[in-house]
Amino acid sequence: MGFRMAPPQDPLYAGLGQAIRIATDLLAALIVGGALGWVCDTYVFDSTPWSMIIGLLMGIVAGMRNAYRSIQRWPKT
Amino acid sequence: MEESPLHQFELQNWIPISLGGFDISINKAVVFMWIVVLVAAVLMVMAGSARKLVPGKLQSLAEMMVDFIRSMILDTMGKEGMRFFPLVATLFVFILFSNLIGLIPGSYTVTSQIIVTAVFSFVVYGLSLVMGFMLHGAKFLGILVPPGTPGWLVPLMIPIEIISQVARPVSLAVRLFANMTAGHVMLAVLFSLTIGGGLLVGWLPFAFTVAIYGLEFGIAFIQAYIFSILTCVYLGDAFHLHGHDEHAH
Repeated sequence: MGFRMAPPQDPLYAGLGQAIRIATDLLAALIVGGALGWVCDTYVFDSTPWSMIIGLLMGIVAGMRNAYRSIQRWPKT
Repeated sequence: MEESPLHQFELQNWIPISLGGFDISINKAVVFMWIVVLVAAVLMVMAGSARKLVPGKLQSLAEMMVDFIRSMILDTMGKEGMRFFPLVATLFVFILFSNLIGLIPGSYTVTSQIIVTAVFSFVVYGLSLVMGFMLHGAKFLGILVPPGTPGWLVPLMIPIEIISQVARPVSLAVRLFANMTAGHVMLAVLFSLTIGGGLLVGWLPFAFTVAIYGLEFGIAFIQAYIFSILTCVYLGDAFHLHGHDEHAH
């Protein structure tokens, strides 16, 4: 197997890259949503655990939105 | 033998330095960051100094890389994105070299420290925010409301979009860090199995070590590529509001 400059053009590695991107898109939004909710709970509203639950739900939505966005951008092959 | 696979990421202060209460000691990661910069700079300068019409090996490699980054920027940002070429190329080359140098046994992968990747991604994201506000002013806040949102959804969309915007630099940082760390942990586990297993059983994990090592080589490229293309995408979003958003190109 010879490497040309760009493994991203190799179909195997391109698919791997896309999978990695989607996975972290979903995960990061969940973390951010949960963290924001937790901060609201402990420092702003004193409403444990409700804003964290709402934050996690919104994080799920936001993660799907980010994942959807990156799918839209993929070059058509 | 009974060594934790995470042991390779621990850092000891080699030369303790403290400046104004901040710990800026020299450790392995710092030294390897210097090595990465040095190797990348020397290779690139050597490749660029020949300037032959028919390029040699090193020059054609560098030309391929520059061409690759250029087409990446043109695809995602268009012509006006070329002013970010130095930034994107620097990020790409630094991440690529630190991933590759980290694969040499006994060396250190700088990008397996989350603080390194987080600084990169937050700088990139901060730059895209500053750019967006400079170019569009208060209208840039319109990214929080995607076009075509019905009015009653706006109060719900704004927090969701805020989360999805904040998640961008986080996912950028976590992706690079997690991939490098996971790869090296996997290699460490497999290799300690090889040594522990001896000749009779050890050949199986050793075969996997070799295979994963090859995979990690590809991952090094992929991660550098993903990081720099997402840099382009985020900066491009600041250029054209909603440009690529709803209609795929």
